[in-house]
Amino acid sequence: MLSRVADSLYWMSRYMERTDGILRMLRINYASSQDDLQDFSWKPVLRIFTYLDEERAAAIAQHSRGVLQYMVTDKENSNSVLNIVTHARENARSVQDHITKELWQCLNDFYHTIREEQVVRGLYTDDPVSILDVLIRQGVLYYGITDITMARGEGYAFLNIGKFIERGVQSADILDIKFSDLQYDLTRMDTTYWKYLLLSISGYELYLKTYRSGFDARNVVEQIILSPDFPRSILYSVSRLQMHFERLKGERNREAYQKIDFMIGKIHSRIRYSTVDSILEQGLHAYLISVKEDLYEVGNTLNQHYFAYT
Amino acid sequence: MQTSELLKNYLVDPRTWDEMYTSSTVRQQYEGMVNFLQQMSTEELSKKEELAKRLFMSQGITFTVYSSGEGIEKIFPFDIIPRIITAAEWSYIEEGIKQRLKALNLFLKDVYNSQFILKDGIVPSEMIYSCPHFLREMHGFPVPHDIYVHIAGIDLIRDQDGTFYILEDNLRTPSGVSYMLENREITKRIFPDLIPKNNVRTVTEYPDILHRNLVSLSPRQTSHPTIVLLTPGIYNSAYFEHTTLARLMGVELVEGRDLVVDNHRVFMKTTAGLQPVDVIYRRVDDNFLDPLVFQPDSMLGVAGLMSAYRKGNVAIVNAVGNGVADDKAIYTYVPAMIRYYLNEEPILKNVPTYQLGHPEEREYVFTNMNKMVVKKTNESGGYGMLMGHTASEEEILRYQEEILKDPRQYIAQPIISLSSAPCYMNGRLKPRRVDLRPYALCGPDGIQIVPGGLTRVALREGSLVVNSSQGGGSKDTWVLAG
Repeated sequence: MLSRVADSLYWMSRYMERTDGILRMLRINYASSQDDLQDFSWKPVLRIFTYLDEERAAAIAQHSRGVLQYMVTDKENSNSVLNIVTHARENARSVQDHITKELWQCLNDFYHTIREEQVVRGLYTDDPVSILDVLIRQGVLYYGITDITMARGEGYAFLNIGKFIERGVQSADILDIKFSDLQYDLTRMDTTYWKYLLLSISGYELYLKTYRSGFDARNVVEQIILSPDFPRSILYSVSRLQMHFERLKGERNREAYQKIDFMIGKIHSRIRYSTVDSILEQGLHAYLISVKEDLYEVGNTLNQHYFAYT
Repeated sequence: MQTSELLKNYLVDPRTWDEMYTSSTVRQQYEGMVNFLQQMSTEELSKKEELAKRLFMSQGITFTVYSSGEGIEKIFPFDIIPRIITAAEWSYIEEGIKQRLKALNLFLKDVYNSQFILKDGIVPSEMIYSCPHFLREMHGFPVPHDIYVHIAGIDLIRDQDGTFYILEDNLRTPSGVSYMLENREITKRIFPDLIPKNNVRTVTEYPDILHRNLVSLSPRQTSHPTIVLLTPGIYNSAYFEHTTLARLMGVELVEGRDLVVDNHRVFMKTTAGLQPVDVIYRRVDDNFLDPLVFQPDSMLGVAGLMSAYRKGNVAIVNAVGNGVADDKAIYTYVPAMIRYYLNEEPILKNVPTYQLGHPEEREYVFTNMNKMVVKKTNESGGYGMLMGHTASEEEILRYQEEILKDPRQYIAQPIISLSSAPCYMNGRLKPRRVDLRPYALCGPDGIQIVPGGLTRVALREGSLVVNSSQGGGSKDTWVLAG
């Protein structure tokens, strides 16, 4: 496979994973903003997904509708869903001979949908949840079509590598910023706070079934970092990353393969053999930051050995 | 046959050949279509037109116009009423194009090797040496199977008595074939069952034939040669076509930056290192192919490509330097080439053409400017041309001054009125002018022409210019079986 194509598939997939993450986060936070919640704030969301400085974030965070518009359709926000989907589509457009026609059309439709006038209007005047649902469904369609139509070859491997690196980084970010909001004070018992956090990453039901003793920050940490069954946990993301990377094993490019295989294996073992206690001992923030840095390093090394073409 | 709302006021210009109507009746090949259309309400047809637009948009059959830093997706205008060609017309066209292409291929081989045709004085040497598309780099180099033109998109028009004329030979990187394929797919969606009922021949074989021909050109003896389609990239207006063809043939779509030449061999940069390339179907013009040989600042090509080509390590499709055969000034000599190389009378006629480099002919053209269309020999896409019957006095004078600066760069032709075909316009059928571009594929086993082609249509009333860059659209083109 052409290096340029691998690069584009990887980024297309990262952008789509980010799109899904942002949209779900917005949907639940909007619901939460309609609840009687003393200390609800949009600031963590803006910190996770945008590059705004404190001052501007504080200004925007006052109004839910403004946040939605900024995050979904604002052209000036380089991480708005509109811009990310545009990037994903541009990447898809340049590799149309490597993705199925259905997948291309799905991304193309997503792009045209989000540029419709009524999306902007809906977010501002109507029920924004309906609009977010339409967009989330487009993203889900993307996942389904990828699963059903894409051949299990190298391209599929790069799609998944991108997806799970992005997801691992996102989960680390979400956890880190949500806890920094509480100054990493794990003793705080705020049921609603944890409930909305888990809802926003589709982990609420699993939590209820796993932990029967109500909300405890330690359990939240455990589920989001260490659960092997939670599809957004860091451990799950890294094991999937490992699995899909193994698909690239081959005679050619052996040196690069071994190098990256080693890196991913090391991250995986580190998480696999962590406990909540060992994480807290090291400090939650420090732990999450180092996981994130390691994942970025995998991305950089891939770039160097698999995507270099200019 | 009673006329419905739809056909009311279908006024055919008496000086024009209409594809559907004679002065009084519907031509036989259109009867099925007309009967079908008359059972449809305007609402239904308008809905179908909407559906066609939506399908083009959603499938990304678009090109991007960049303005104020933002890309806007556009579709090439599509008219929903197919253009119909009878079996007899088609076999005549097919014969004519095959003959012409055979002669043009022989001409290219000759002009880049022994140059018998120049020595025998059939084509004047100065016409060749003054042509900017004649490339010394191609001299004395044997191309695989002696084929220069692997893909040709020859443009045909019909004058008022229905005679077909060759308007242009496109032998470099003719485009539009994806619209032949996609327009047909759209027709299948908007008019269910209509195609089988009318006994229309299929066009879907095109990518398979092309692929087979490309495989046969591989210089390496291998059952799985690496074939790539070289595109200028996503900003090119024909990018959709490049992706479609690559997908339909299952070949790699590459940009110049994906390729590298090492020791006169071409490689592509893959995730598993460099992989050798055997055949390049390029959609990049000669001038941009290799910065070491042609335009030095080109970012679209590959440095060293021409040396690999000349060593015979890679095949390039179409061959480099074909522009010398489809130059608008050389065009005049194609009938002579057919007589010279094949000893046959040309089947398809040329439009009479005046060389403005020739003083007497120039004189004649200048005195009859209002009946002429004047074109630059090295421009395409309808750019740089003057339609004498609509131009103002002042425009004509200014254009004549331009011509006098370098008369060799211009030719003139009498304005041919172009046949008209029905188009769906705001609830009515209206005649609009059309041309026809069939696509001929030339491989070691001979020339094949998929029964169909691209019908381009001048959507503006009275306009004779069908180029997409000048407000033209396209139609599905049906060739009927027997």
